[in-house]
Amino acid sequence: MESTQQTESRIIELKPFTDEMIVNMGPQHPSTHGVLRLELRLDGEIVREAIPHIGYLHRCFEKHSENLSYPQIIPFTDRMDYVAAMNQNWGFCLAVEKLLEADETKDFEVPERAEYLRVLICELNRIASHLLSFGTYGMDIGAFTPFLYAFRDRERLLLLFEKVCGARLTYNYIRIGGVSEIIPLEPGSVAEQNYLDEIEEFLDYFEPKIDEYNDLLTSNSIFSERTMGVAVMPAEMAISYGATGPNLRGSGVDWDLRRDEPYSIYDRFEFDVPVAKDIPELGAVVGDCWSRYKVRMDEMKESVKIVRQILAEGLPDGPVMADLKAVRPPQGEIYFRSEAPRGELGFYIVSDGTPKPVRVKGRSPCFSALSALQELSRGLMVADIIAIIGSIDIVMGEVDR
Amino acid sequence: MDKYIRNIYKGVYTVLVGMRITIRQFFEPNVTHQYPYEHDFEKKQNVREIPKGYRGQLYNRIEDCIGCKKCEMICPVDCITIEGTKLPKGEQLWDSMNVVHLKDGREIIGLIEGSDKKLNLDEPITLTNTTSRQGPQEVIDRLEESGDENRTQTIPGGEASRVVTRNPVVFYLDQFDIDMSLCMYCGLCTEVCPTECLTMKDTLEGIEYSSFDRNDLIFEFDKQEMYGKDETEEVEAAD
Repeated sequence: MESTQQTESRIIELKPFTDEMIVNMGPQHPSTHGVLRLELRLDGEIVREAIPHIGYLHRCFEKHSENLSYPQIIPFTDRMDYVAAMNQNWGFCLAVEKLLEADETKDFEVPERAEYLRVLICELNRIASHLLSFGTYGMDIGAFTPFLYAFRDRERLLLLFEKVCGARLTYNYIRIGGVSEIIPLEPGSVAEQNYLDEIEEFLDYFEPKIDEYNDLLTSNSIFSERTMGVAVMPAEMAISYGATGPNLRGSGVDWDLRRDEPYSIYDRFEFDVPVAKDIPELGAVVGDCWSRYKVRMDEMKESVKIVRQILAEGLPDGPVMADLKAVRPPQGEIYFRSEAPRGELGFYIVSDGTPKPVRVKGRSPCFSALSALQELSRGLMVADIIAIIGSIDIVMGEVDR
Repeated sequence: MDKYIRNIYKGVYTVLVGMRITIRQFFEPNVTHQYPYEHDFEKKQNVREIPKGYRGQLYNRIEDCIGCKKCEMICPVDCITIEGTKLPKGEQLWDSMNVVHLKDGREIIGLIEGSDKKLNLDEPITLTNTTSRQGPQEVIDRLEESGDENRTQTIPGGEASRVVTRNPVVFYLDQFDIDMSLCMYCGLCTEVCPTECLTMKDTLEGIEYSSFDRNDLIFEFDKQEMYGKDETEEVEAAD
């Protein structure tokens, strides 16, 4: 405890002097979703200022990348957002592929089958990521049961990933020019059919569960009292802080890179983009914690919809890797963004024509969302800080990189 | 007052809705594995199946290794250390041979007549000077110690999944260490391996190998396993 100098004399005149207290929340606080330290300047229970201190999980991803060849960097992107590692792999590979396409001497195209597998796996990964977000958010607010249910369903997804790439969290599945062939999934084979059947079985099991979870937590009175109308982030503020993904859509901005700037084969699928709306009868305001959370719950349904379309179409035949001898992009630079579960994931790569990049920069959606925390939390209670951190759904591995 | 009562009603009602969902779980089977208790460590029986191709501990079948150092180069975290000496010109450890991988997981080593040509796997394959071994993951005895060597064996067509030519080894590997405490389990090294001797164990031994000492996690696949124990004994005798 430590008192700070009161600078504004006007406040002292108006009300009795109270000591401001500085409290360190974290780095090992269970609800900080990683190792985040918040320095809270408190006036009683009112938060005057919340300063996030980051860097506890810094692993020099960008510096490491300068000394590694392109395929070697992909396992490092796994460690960024470890909850949705498939999407991180994909984001990096998309950027490198875009860079490779600039080379006109080589004819290079990602095979159709690989594209379908990528969308299939990444949408399943999006469900897994949102499930974790849903479960831990419930736990932050005080409901322990959703956490167990979410992990039960996520486990089934992890087993599916395990079967296709051999790992549960750090997949290293999506490669430059296709997907990994460690575990071969022959077109039209029994193994492929079994795998798709397993996914369908999961979807049949999971789709009614979303409504169940909405009954369990979303409409729960205690939960909605804690989250509705708390920490409202208006659309202008969300845009100016660079918040993307569910955080931006929770503020009422209808923007999804999968639909508005379609990459890969997303233009072939039909899906809605859930956007938060005012719900006066419940008390939800656009941009509050509950809206951001609700967007994630609705997005899971959309992901299920996309996966079902792939299953109905079936995976096309053909190879899963493009004919790439060595990854050696031409001289140039690229910034490519994709829609990861937590928002817009961008990679900026500078190449000098050698197998190793000169510079790699990752644009982390969580970092931008976390920067809004200081303004969001001003004037709220300490308990609301937990509700905000859970609702912006940060993963510290991606914030620090 | 009206709002107060409505609030209480809403709170109780929504909690009851949730309770209806949770009470159903009482009548459904457990999904949790009581991991250390339901697990037989002696028999290495797990409560769940580990899928084929799981990326576990790295294992090098050293007798197939040609010391090309591709794995050392691709490793992002440098957990593989290889030291090799080239044998004098004209010397080699063994002659060229063929490995036939059967679809049931067995491997048969021998010489195929005219193996320079591309083989048709649907036709029978005749091997001379054969030796066989069970399962690719096992520690393999030296070829000479194998019981059923020097036979001629014909494999019916369609049983073989692939045929690999094993070139004569001209590298003498002094050191092949893998530090599993550094490994990030990306599996890149197993993909670049030209002889497919470096694999990741997808068995329970490949997952449960924790240790109290960090040095126990450095796995040495070196000449002692490869060339028998003769050399070590000589060194000990000299001491």
